[in-house]
Amino acid sequence: MFSRWTTRAAMPVAAVLALGLPAGSASAGGTLRIAMTASDVPTTTGAPDNGYEGVRFLGYPVFEGLVLWDLKRADKLADIRPGLAERWEQDAADNKKWVFHLRKGAKFHDGSEFNADAAIWNLDRYYKKDAKQFDPPGGAVAQARNPFVAGYRKIDDYTIEITNPRPLSYFPYMLPYMLYSSPAQFEKTGSWAEFAKAPSGTGPFKITEFKPRVSVTLSRNDDYWEKSKVPKLDKMVLFPMPEATTRLAALRSGQVDWIEVPPPDAVPSLKSAGFEIVTGSYPHVWPWVLNLAKEDSPWKDVRVRRAINYCLNRDGLVALLNGLAEPSVGAFKPTDPQFGKPKENYRYDPAKAKALLNEVGFGPDKPVKAKVMISTSGSGQMLPLPMNEFLQQNLKECGFDISFEVVEWGTMLVALRNAPTAQQALGSDAMNISLPPATDVSQIALYFLSTNAAPNGRNWANWKNAEFDQVIDRIEKSSDEAEILKNTQRAHEIIVDEAPWAFIVHDRNPRAMTKKVKGFISAQSWFQDFTAVDME
Amino acid sequence: MWAFTLRRLLYAVPVLLGVSMLVFALIHLAPGDVVDILVPPEVPKAIADSLRQRFRLDEPLYMQYLAWLGRLLVGDFGVSFFTGRPVAEELSGALGNTLVLALPAAGVGFLLGVVLGALAAYNHDTWLDKLFSATAIVGVSLPHYWVGIVLVAVFAVVLNVLPAQGMGFEGLPTSWEHVQHLILPVVTLSLIPMGVISRLVRANVLEILSQEFVGTLRAKGLFNRRVLYHTLKNALPSTLALMGLQFGYLLGGSILVETVFNWPGSGGLMNLAIFRRDVPVLSATIVVLATIFVVINILVDVLQALIDPRMRR
Amino acid sequence: MADVAVPSTDAATALKRAQQGKGYWRRVWERLREDKVTLAVIGVLAMLLVMVVFAPWFTIHDPYTGSVLRRLKPVGTPGHWLGTDEVGRDLWSRMVYGGRLSLLAGVVPVFLALLIGGFLGILAGYAGGLLNSAVMRLTDVLYAFPSILLAIAITGILGAGLQNTILALTISFIPPIIRISESVTTQVRNLDFVEAARASGARRLTIMRYHILNNVLGPILVYATSLISICIILAAGLSFLGLGVTPPSAEWGLMLNNLRQGIWASPLVAALPGVMIFVTSMCFNLMSDGLRQAMDVRL
Repeated sequence: MFSRWTTRAAMPVAAVLALGLPAGSASAGGTLRIAMTASDVPTTTGAPDNGYEGVRFLGYPVFEGLVLWDLKRADKLADIRPGLAERWEQDAADNKKWVFHLRKGAKFHDGSEFNADAAIWNLDRYYKKDAKQFDPPGGAVAQARNPFVAGYRKIDDYTIEITNPRPLSYFPYMLPYMLYSSPAQFEKTGSWAEFAKAPSGTGPFKITEFKPRVSVTLSRNDDYWEKSKVPKLDKMVLFPMPEATTRLAALRSGQVDWIEVPPPDAVPSLKSAGFEIVTGSYPHVWPWVLNLAKEDSPWKDVRVRRAINYCLNRDGLVALLNGLAEPSVGAFKPTDPQFGKPKENYRYDPAKAKALLNEVGFGPDKPVKAKVMISTSGSGQMLPLPMNEFLQQNLKECGFDISFEVVEWGTMLVALRNAPTAQQALGSDAMNISLPPATDVSQIALYFLSTNAAPNGRNWANWKNAEFDQVIDRIEKSSDEAEILKNTQRAHEIIVDEAPWAFIVHDRNPRAMTKKVKGFISAQSWFQDFTAVDME
Repeated sequence: MWAFTLRRLLYAVPVLLGVSMLVFALIHLAPGDVVDILVPPEVPKAIADSLRQRFRLDEPLYMQYLAWLGRLLVGDFGVSFFTGRPVAEELSGALGNTLVLALPAAGVGFLLGVVLGALAAYNHDTWLDKLFSATAIVGVSLPHYWVGIVLVAVFAVVLNVLPAQGMGFEGLPTSWEHVQHLILPVVTLSLIPMGVISRLVRANVLEILSQEFVGTLRAKGLFNRRVLYHTLKNALPSTLALMGLQFGYLLGGSILVETVFNWPGSGGLMNLAIFRRDVPVLSATIVVLATIFVVINILVDVLQALIDPRMRR
Repeated sequence: MADVAVPSTDAATALKRAQQGKGYWRRVWERLREDKVTLAVIGVLAMLLVMVVFAPWFTIHDPYTGSVLRRLKPVGTPGHWLGTDEVGRDLWSRMVYGGRLSLLAGVVPVFLALLIGGFLGILAGYAGGLLNSAVMRLTDVLYAFPSILLAIAITGILGAGLQNTILALTISFIPPIIRISESVTTQVRNLDFVEAARASGARRLTIMRYHILNNVLGPILVYATSLISICIILAAGLSFLGLGVTPPSAEWGLMLNNLRQGIWASPLVAALPGVMIFVTSMCFNLMSDGLRQAMDVRL
């Protein structure tokens, strides 16, 4: 299977056998072999684990939601588009209710129809404890990513209604994270463990082979409901390969065609060996989340928080990473209309940083002491050790005395879920944790609302800002796009000026691939569209 | 003799119990549990707790342990917390994959170890001794996983004659292509056994050669069969004992080598289970490996007692 | 993991050893003095120790500061004769200072395990019977246990870092040292028991204590020195998995791991910590061989 000599010979034969199509079909696009950073094949039940990388590979290509991401363009932030729901609207009478008009003619891979019954069945999978198909881990993940489903019901065969606990204008942005699997297939296989061996979703690819811990093969779904997005590829084979040097060797020796996250130091040699480095530019902050709840927190005064943001040598760090990241001066990118016009304009300005620190009483003989929790590895953490070491030296020049609490990834996740003053935080003043990308206001709300302060949500910093809460409240209640945009900008300005995080860099999701991979457009999103990809 | 063996077999039971208890204790002492890894941190506490209930993680530790032990004794290895797949299936697959590496690695390592050690001893007091010794102990002087990374860089990337990673087949290798996948990991894995065995063999052979009557035999020619036979006969017992133990370690699977070569073996399985706090998989894997170790230890002790009566306790 | 060699000395040699007494150690010293290679190796190790302890005298640059603009410079760069690492720190300084932690991580666990394991093993071998069974079966439990899990649990509870690495490694080495000590002690005990049975009761105790300690410490010591190199490598392996010594500490294993991606940018520099580990390990192993020979021990 790995041999580059036999792959191209075997491929057309395999295509014929697998799909029953005559060889030489118009869209015969080859087999794309990808090495992922995941340490195991993500679950194939429609509720993939292994974090958002699992959703990227075993989510959208195979399973879809009512709402999907528009991943066609590289020049603007990916927005949502209709998926298994053709359109939706808030109920005029009660804006806590959303009505979804489901797509007609979408079929699951096993041939059964997608309709309101199937949709409700899937919602039961995530939310109804006594349902036969209830999936506790999947349900827990779905509820964490989308905590706003208070109720749901079927209206007719192709219409359903979902109720929110409070009016939420950005609710559709939460729906891409909930994926739908085939009830008929579940009935046939009997349990999620068995379903995992013969999965069935509605996506452009279907899972045709699954070897636990080794690989999973996705084949083209010729009956995909969106005819213009039937994949060009015949097959995609995904391999878990957590060790970066191994991925690199696999790419360079021809075992795979595409690797996620190449080691930054190898970038120049990859380029000179004729491989392509593809990066995307989108808001995925790699921050230090500052602990604002701790009694003796050094970050209590906002000037200290601004100072650290002025002291960061982001360009230096980007150079260290050979361009696999870009500077971050806020949750969104400065080119994004949602960025707004904050008062603080962060850049590398050690003089300004020192001046700010002086105002608060810190100085060369009284440095700001802080202990940062960093992990040795982990999804989205990039290269935590060298990056943090660089920052430690970098910040020293302004008077920050940074030490590290190095923990294993599991330990960090435990700390994240508890209050920042809890024992699990190990006395850290900040946490270097790359949280899921904040691409729209729904995510900003999740990270920064005071009601989401850990342990009740994602706001580990425990940052509480009344004006921010009010602005978000206005957004949630509004239904006017222009008003929402204006308020989003204001919300973002507050975040930047009040700096609950040290905004360091945006992860550019680098990937390296052979020149034979054609047609890939790097959308401004963590997720990507594989349907346009072709192998030469 | 048989009383001794029986006694050791009986003792194996509390040892295995001890190991399983230690595993449970340690994995629960490590911070976090499977739920922390499985679901995002912002999951409401109520939901996380109900998940914990489902995995019986809210019960007192000794109860969890007893429940697990009870199932184990009837052959039920349980189901992985993380993947939901039966542990027995995952474990047998992983052990099989490790065996496919361990057997050739042991073979290569032991053979080279014996040859290099014997050659070193025969050429004692010359620079050849130092050369053979040095070659042999490269394996225990350099991190073997790092040697693996370098080998991959040279043979897979630069020369492109061998695959960079992965097993490439299931079950047993049936073609040259499959064997190609074995070469680099086997070489990497064989380094430590080679180093360890060669040192022992060298010392043993030296000891024998220094005995006076051997000097006379040697005068008849270096590779005289009787000298060889006598040497081997005396060097073999303790060497075999060591080989048994090294093979036990190889079966445990090297987490480091399996990570570098992306080999789906028991080392990788255990590593995943540890980092994901997957208690059923981890407990079952360690108990099975411990059983193998204990059996090997018993065999080793029996062998020793057979060869050298003074080794009886 | 560990090097378990079981000695099976024949009757003549063991008897010879048992009868040697005071003159034995002097003869060991004399034999050592004539072994040029071993002396040379001990010299190298001594020199290494001096350089490592007095590191500031042998280095110019601070091992903790570097500039990202100067990262991964090759060997022979002016001002950094061995190049720079992935964050721009001088490699020569890092290697010299790194020697401190590496040697500590290599020697201390073995030393501690020697004390604890040696004591327990000799005790078990000396006492025999139930105590022997109890100690040996407990050892079996630890033996069958993967040291990686132990290391993860320990560093998970107590945190990563040098101290906990040493703790985890010490615990991992205790079982094989107990086995070796017990094994050798049993041999000698069984032998001397026959001999000493002829002498009076009080003398038997003295002879056993005296001869056991004298003749057992030798093989155990030799075995332990060969463990040092393995210990250094295991510490490196722990760092590879993200446990063990933590940045920005300089330690050869950690450096080797951090630089492994750099083999594509600067292969020589990336290999240097490996060379250091190799040389040190070889020295310890060769020294161990030399000691072995001098003590005429079949290990």
